[in-house]
Amino acid sequence: MGDRENNEKRQYRILFLRGLRGLRGERSLGLGMAETLKILTRNVGKPNSTDIDVYMHAGGYGPLMTALHKMSPEQVLGEVKASNLKGRGGALFPAGLKWSFLPKGKGTLKYLVCNADESEPGTFKDRLLIENDPHAILEGLILAGWATQSAGCFFYIRGEMPVGARIFQKAVDQAYDRHFLGKSVLGSGWDFDVWVSRGAGAYICGEETALMNSLEGKRGEPRLKPPFPAGCGVYGVPSNINNVETYANVPLILKNGAEWYNKIGTPSSPGPRLFGVSGHVKRPGIYELPGGVTLRELIYEHAGGILGDRPLKAVIPGGSSVPVLRKDQIDIAMDPDGLKTVGSMLGSAGVIVMNDTVCMVKALLNLMQFYAHESCGQCTPCREGTHWFKLILQRLEEGGGQDEDCGLLLDIAENVLGRTICPLGDAAAMPVQSFVTQFMDEFDEHARFGRCPLRQTRMTTVI
Amino acid sequence: MPLIRIDEKEIEVAQGETILRAALSNGIYIPYYCYHPALSIVGQCRMCLVDVKGAPKPLTACSTAVTSLPPDKKIQGKYDMVVDTKNATVKKAQRGILEFLLLNHPLDCPICDQAGECQLQEYAYTYGSGQSRFEFEKVHAPKRVGIGPHVVFDVERCIKCTRCIRFCNEISKTSELTLVERGVHTRVDTFPGRALDNPYSICTVDVCPVGALTSREFRFKERVWFLSSANSVCPECSRGCSVRFDTYKGEVLRLVPRENPKINGLWMCDYGRLLSERLKTLDLAARPRIRDEKGWAAYLWEEFAPRLVAKTAAFTGSPSKDLGIVISARMTLEEMVAFKRLSAALLGGNEGWVLNVTQGEDDGLLIRKEGRPNLKGAELLDIPAAPENALVSGLLAGKKAALIVREDVVGDAEGPEKDALRELLSGMDLVIVADYAFTETAALAHLYIPLAGWQEMEGITVNFLGVAQKTARAVAPPKQRRPFYEAVSLWLRAAGHEAPEPTFLAWHALAKEAVPALKDKAIRDFLPHGIQLEVTRP
Repeated sequence: MGDRENNEKRQYRILFLRGLRGLRGERSLGLGMAETLKILTRNVGKPNSTDIDVYMHAGGYGPLMTALHKMSPEQVLGEVKASNLKGRGGALFPAGLKWSFLPKGKGTLKYLVCNADESEPGTFKDRLLIENDPHAILEGLILAGWATQSAGCFFYIRGEMPVGARIFQKAVDQAYDRHFLGKSVLGSGWDFDVWVSRGAGAYICGEETALMNSLEGKRGEPRLKPPFPAGCGVYGVPSNINNVETYANVPLILKNGAEWYNKIGTPSSPGPRLFGVSGHVKRPGIYELPGGVTLRELIYEHAGGILGDRPLKAVIPGGSSVPVLRKDQIDIAMDPDGLKTVGSMLGSAGVIVMNDTVCMVKALLNLMQFYAHESCGQCTPCREGTHWFKLILQRLEEGGGQDEDCGLLLDIAENVLGRTICPLGDAAAMPVQSFVTQFMDEFDEHARFGRCPLRQTRMTTVI
Repeated sequence: MPLIRIDEKEIEVAQGETILRAALSNGIYIPYYCYHPALSIVGQCRMCLVDVKGAPKPLTACSTAVTSLPPDKKIQGKYDMVVDTKNATVKKAQRGILEFLLLNHPLDCPICDQAGECQLQEYAYTYGSGQSRFEFEKVHAPKRVGIGPHVVFDVERCIKCTRCIRFCNEISKTSELTLVERGVHTRVDTFPGRALDNPYSICTVDVCPVGALTSREFRFKERVWFLSSANSVCPECSRGCSVRFDTYKGEVLRLVPRENPKINGLWMCDYGRLLSERLKTLDLAARPRIRDEKGWAAYLWEEFAPRLVAKTAAFTGSPSKDLGIVISARMTLEEMVAFKRLSAALLGGNEGWVLNVTQGEDDGLLIRKEGRPNLKGAELLDIPAAPENALVSGLLAGKKAALIVREDVVGDAEGPEKDALRELLSGMDLVIVADYAFTETAALAHLYIPLAGWQEMEGITVNFLGVAQKTARAVAPPKQRRPFYEAVSLWLRAAGHEAPEPTFLAWHALAKEAVPALKDKAIRDFLPHGIQLEVTRP
């Protein structure tokens, strides 16, 4: 018995390390496994992939040169709009439409912001791109800058990613040397700068307006909307903010055309997508697949199935903030339409897999500890609600649960949902609602027995 | 203008007006904490959530602006917005927010100094659920933090509405406060190395809707429901802020600003507010006094007035070069009129100087450099003002007798001027001092007339903008301590002259005659915001 356990543990450790290697791109994605795409991740795993020469050798900055010399900003914007590229930060707002909200023309000062504050639990796709292919992001930024005629871009990177910040800064320096940035980019007469800023370690600064406050040196608190960033953004200037992966898609669209782009994936999620799979799977990592791949395929074929060949219990399909799915709900397409049918969302496409050893109360408690810690404290429902969630779940898990706890959790979630300034309140309330309703029996059991029924079998803590 | 419907009421509001303002100005009450009419909108307490037709979730009334819809999209054919402030969704939202606010708020109203004027307490009764479902230890935080010389902060009671922070950023422009930490541990704090120390710091106590910020001077002095209040005017500079004197058993416990858009908005300075503390330190006399070889002796007015007349008999008739008169712009309009009457009847028509005492510069918000409230009133009555900060020893030089009303010229002077004044006054044959307190100057007098203090009498005062306001009797003085106009009535009568009744109304009628702009104004016209007089601005 003891030997078997030890063996299992060793196996997990090895798999865990392998997953990390996958993250760093050292493992060739797709080798000996189900086929993945190599579009966004085309340079991942190449030797010296962060160098500008390597990037240009593979055709990089070609779309930029074409766009700057042969296309008007309107044409670039039109192409991105036609591609129906959707924001990859989680909200899936059409990027081209968002760009078109900015005031037109050269006359007004505008800024771009690149949201590299990737901190959603279960999501680690941007880090892969930043650390392996920074020039693709940078090229996308410059193209977006040209399309919107912006004066510059703030690249706000999570403070916990010092390596990424260093790599991206180096990429920016190289781009300045080659005149892709700076005064009169490639002789077009249009100036564009990129500034790299590091965050100070707050989940909330991934929210667009909190990010802007943080960037300005203020407390990272979301702003009241309206005004929206397109009217009054960073430093009070009209701004456009997108996720790293969104910008990284832009050169591809310009290079291959909107039609090509639309052919990949489904109408509600066109283009290639980076799915981050973590938790109890044999091969955790980033998988580039067309939008619309089924969740079952993602878990069982790409990620190698459930760790320890145990039964699946639950999946969070799009980063910790989206409603959780039961094991019988995984035969759906991983796009907004597909996930809607089971009441969840695609979010940032960070898939967290849990096998039958996971206690759902403990898992939710883990999430709520995170949200209670990360609530900025500005508005009442989120500040107090997340804390209350945490306390109730803690009590439930420790055996002090009461019969009415489930009802109470749902009622608090209702009072938080849609009552807050920014989506953090919703992000905390939605998992509570879904965990409790999907796994009501388990929650009730905790309260009824006065203990966690999975206490003995629990192997690892996920998330 | 967009037409909106809030509950059952149709309201026409200006484009861009918020729902909350529109509702409040039309008699529909929506509860709120972080909204404050003079501060920026942050929408973070979420108390003012209302149900707007067509919106997927409740919206904050404080930050949602009314916009007009195109004609074909109007709701029910005519409305640009339909708002419900009382339906089940809103009630649930309000109950939910209140429950959240009370989660970590101590439920010890009986020992909280804010009880009775606490918005949290009021809303908990009106909109709350009446019981808590929270069964855990509350988050504890420091109590009694002295964050400034006049403000004490109870961190546990704070509901993070950030009104105080916004006040310091936007009104006093001193920016001492900020939020620190996050989540439930979020708290208001001063920036490192700073204190909440600005000339308006106690205004943060006013804007605080709960008992988190309390004034060091007033906290735990008295339960607010025992206080008597009088709407009056601050006497400490020529701004003349509209204030309310809160008193208990004849003692002024605090001054709080009254809203007056013409003068002070919603604020007042700490110096004016702390008048209540300075009043406590004064040496007061309850009766008129006369000094002879044996020292001071107190008299009733009936005995005092004839002696006063006898002493001043020499100055009746024609103007005398020997008599110097210093009066103060701390006197109300009625008192100044009384002085003029007195001067004409008994002091040979001698004119007095109104001192113009200034200090520093105007601060651009409220505080004025002129330290006296009623300079404009003196101007209206053609009483000459002394040059700015003129030396009183200069004004009184060479005089053998002096009448000094409501100015502690010796006490206020410093250095050589003080010595000079002492010498000058000690050498005079007759010095009459009339003042609220028994001051250093009074100690050098031969006759002392105790006057009712600013808080003890009624009168009209005109501020530097020409707004005439009425002071009120917040506390009753002892019988023998009277306003100067009443003293003049008694003085005149003792001298056998005809005089108005020793009452405010009698002298107010004379003041109205003297100032044409006040002629057809009734007392009630002075409230709440005063009367703007046609005064030519310099």
